[in-house]
Amino acid sequence: MELQLQYFLLLAAALFCLGIYGLITSRNAVRVLMSIELLLNAVNLNLMGFSNFIDPIGIKGQVFTVFVITVAAAEAAVGLAIVLSIYRNRDTIDMEQFNLLKW
Amino acid sequence: MTQFFLDSAWLIPCYALLGAILAVPWSPAIINRTGPRPAGYINMLMTFIAFLHGLLALLAIWNQPAQSVVIPWLQVVDLDLSIPVEMSAVTIGATMVITGLNFLAQIHAIGYLETDWGWARFYSLLALFEAGMCALVLCNSLFFSYIILEILTLGTYLLVGFWFNQSLVVTGARDAFLTKRVGDLVLLMGVIGIYPLSKTWNFSELADWASTVNLDPKVAALVGLALLAGPMGKCAQVPLHLWLDEAMEGPVPSTILRNAVVVCTGAWVLIKLQPVIAISPVAVSAVILIGAVTAVGGTMVAIAQIDIKRTLSYLVSAYLGLVFIAVGTGQIQTALLLLLTYAAAMGLLVMSTGTVIWNSITQDVTQLGGLWAKRPACGLSYLVGAAGLIAVPPLGGFWAFLQLGDSLFTSHPKLFALVLVVNALAAFSLLRVFGLVFGGQAKQMAQRSPEAHWPMVFPMILLMGFTLHVPLLLATWNLLPEWVSVNPTVAASLMLSSAIGGGAAVYLYLSSQVEKPIRFGSKDLQDFFAYDLYTQKLYRGTVVFLVDLISRTISWVDRYIVDGLANLVAFMTMFSGQSLKYNVSGQTQFYALTILLGVALFGFLLSLPILSRLSLIIGS
Repeated sequence: MELQLQYFLLLAAALFCLGIYGLITSRNAVRVLMSIELLLNAVNLNLMGFSNFIDPIGIKGQVFTVFVITVAAAEAAVGLAIVLSIYRNRDTIDMEQFNLLKW
Repeated sequence: MTQFFLDSAWLIPCYALLGAILAVPWSPAIINRTGPRPAGYINMLMTFIAFLHGLLALLAIWNQPAQSVVIPWLQVVDLDLSIPVEMSAVTIGATMVITGLNFLAQIHAIGYLETDWGWARFYSLLALFEAGMCALVLCNSLFFSYIILEILTLGTYLLVGFWFNQSLVVTGARDAFLTKRVGDLVLLMGVIGIYPLSKTWNFSELADWASTVNLDPKVAALVGLALLAGPMGKCAQVPLHLWLDEAMEGPVPSTILRNAVVVCTGAWVLIKLQPVIAISPVAVSAVILIGAVTAVGGTMVAIAQIDIKRTLSYLVSAYLGLVFIAVGTGQIQTALLLLLTYAAAMGLLVMSTGTVIWNSITQDVTQLGGLWAKRPACGLSYLVGAAGLIAVPPLGGFWAFLQLGDSLFTSHPKLFALVLVVNALAAFSLLRVFGLVFGGQAKQMAQRSPEAHWPMVFPMILLMGFTLHVPLLLATWNLLPEWVSVNPTVAASLMLSSAIGGGAAVYLYLSSQVEKPIRFGSKDLQDFFAYDLYTQKLYRGTVVFLVDLISRTISWVDRYIVDGLANLVAFMTMFSGQSLKYNVSGQTQFYALTILLGVALFGFLLSLPILSRLSLIIGS
C-alpha cells in the first residue's frame, strides 16, 4: 500500500475532530489549550501533506507550517498565562465555573 | 309700523335665547351673593317682549297671505341648506301660544321655585324650550325641524334632570332622552330618505310634491313610517310613552310647559308632514292605530294612577293620540284646533294641580281630599281646565271634538265611537281626580292647606280666563261651525259621553255610599293599568335586555378576544425572549460548539448541490 494524499488528509481530519471534541468537552482549561494544539497540528499535517504531494518544488506549505508552529507556540504561551491569571483570581481552572456572562 | 314687526318675526326665538344666556351669570357658582332671582325676572321680561312682538306681528299678518323669508345657512355642492321662515297667522299665533304659556309658567315658577337656588339653570332651560318651540313653528323646513327637535330633546334631558340629586330624576331624565332620541333618529332616517325622492325639505314644497308624486308603495310606506316615528316619540305615543310618565319627576312649572306645548312639537311636525304621510295608506293606518291605542290606553292608565301629576301625563298621551287620529284622517285644521284648546286646558290643569302640590306636599291623590272649600281658586281652575279638555259645550274642547266627530261620523264610524269612549274615559279620569283632591273628607295631608301666594294663583287665573275665552276667540276668527251645519247626533253623543264619564266619576268618588278606595273588577286588571301596562318591564325585557346583552357580549369579545390577540403576540414575544436567553449559557465551549454547528450547517448547505450529485453518482 502506497502512501497517498487522502490518507494524510483523513488523518488530519480525524485529528481535527478529536481536537474539537476535546475543545468542547474538556472541563480543564489546560486540556482545552492542548486540544487547540491538536487542532493546529491537524492543520499542519494538512499543510505538509498538500506541500509534499502537490507543490514539491515550491514547498510553500512547509513555510506556512513553520509560521503556524511559531504562532502556536506564542498562542500557547499567552493561553497558559491567561489560564494562570484566571486561576489566581478564581482558584480554579474548571471551564464550567467561568460563566459570568450567562443570561 | 306693524309691518316692521312682521318682517322681523324671526327675532321671536332670539329673545328667549338671549334670556337663556343672560340668566347664566346668576348660577350659584358665578353670582352667589345676591341669590338667583334676577335670572327669572330677565327671562320673564324677554318672554313678554317676544309675546308682544308676536302680537304686533299677528296684527300685521291678519287676513294677509303667508310670507316667507329665507335665511341662508350653508351651501355645499348641490345641497342648499337655507332656513325658510314662514310667517302666517297660524305660525305667529302658535308662537303667541308658546310665549304666552311660557310667560305664565315662568310667573308660576317664581312662586313655585321660591325656595330653590337653581333659577339660572331652570330659567335658561325654559327659555331654551321657548326659543326652540318658536323656531320650530316658524321654520318651514323638515331638516331644521329635525335639528330643533333634537335640541329640544337635549333640553328635556336637562330640564327633567333639574334636581339631579334624586335618583328617580336621573333615571327619568335618562329614559326621556333615550326614548325621544330613538324616535328622532328614526325620523332622521325618514328626513334623509325623503330628500332623494323629493329634492326638498321645505314643507310647502313637500306638500306640492306629495300631491303629484307616484311613489312605490313600499318606499312610501317606509318613509311615512320613519317620519311618523319622530312625532311618536315626541308626543309620548305607544310604545314610546314611558318617558312622559318618568318626566313627571321634574319641577311642576316645567311640566306645565311640557304637557301643554313641548309634546305638541311632535304633533306640529306630524301635521306639517300630513301630505307626505297621506301618500301611503299603510302609514296613514299606522298613525290612526297608534293614536287610537294611545288614546284608549292613556285614558285607562290615567284612571288607575294615584300620582296626581301622572294622572295628567297619561291624558297628555291620550289627547295627542286624538291629534294623531285627526292627522291620520287628514284633518289638519281640526288637529291644530285640538292642539290650541288642549294646550290651554292642560296648562291650566297642571298649574292647578301644581299649586295644590306646592303646599300639600304629597302628590298621592288618595292622601288629599276636601280642598274645595279651602282652595276655591285651584278647584275652579281645575274644573275649567277639565271642562275645556273634554267635550263640554261652550268651551274649546267641545268645538275641537265636534269638528273631529263631524268628519269621523260619516267616514270612520268606528273611530267616532272610539273618540266618544276616550272622551268619556278622560272625563271620568279628570273628575275622579277632582273628586279625590277637592271633594270628600280632608285626609291628613290636606287638613291645613292654604291657597298659594299670588305668583302661583295669578297665572292660573289668567290662564283660566284664556281657557274661558277660547270659544269667543274661535268665534271671532270664524272657526266655529254654523249652528245649522252642526250634526245634532254628533254633538249630543259627545255631550252624553262627557256626562256619562263625568257623572260616573262624580257618583263613585263624591258619594259616601261607595267604599273607598274603589276596586274595579279584578286586582290584576287594576294593577295592569296602574303600572302603565307594565311598560317598564316590557322595555327591560325586550329592547333594554337585547341591547344590554349585545353590548356585554361585544365588550367581552373586545376585552378578551381582540385585546387578547394583541396581548398574545406581546406575551409570546416576551416568553420567547425569556426562554431563548438561556442560549447564552456563559460557557465559552458552548459558544464554540454553536459556532461549529453553524459552520457545519453552512458548509452542508453550500455543499448540498454537490452532495446531491454525489448521491446520483453513487446511485448510478
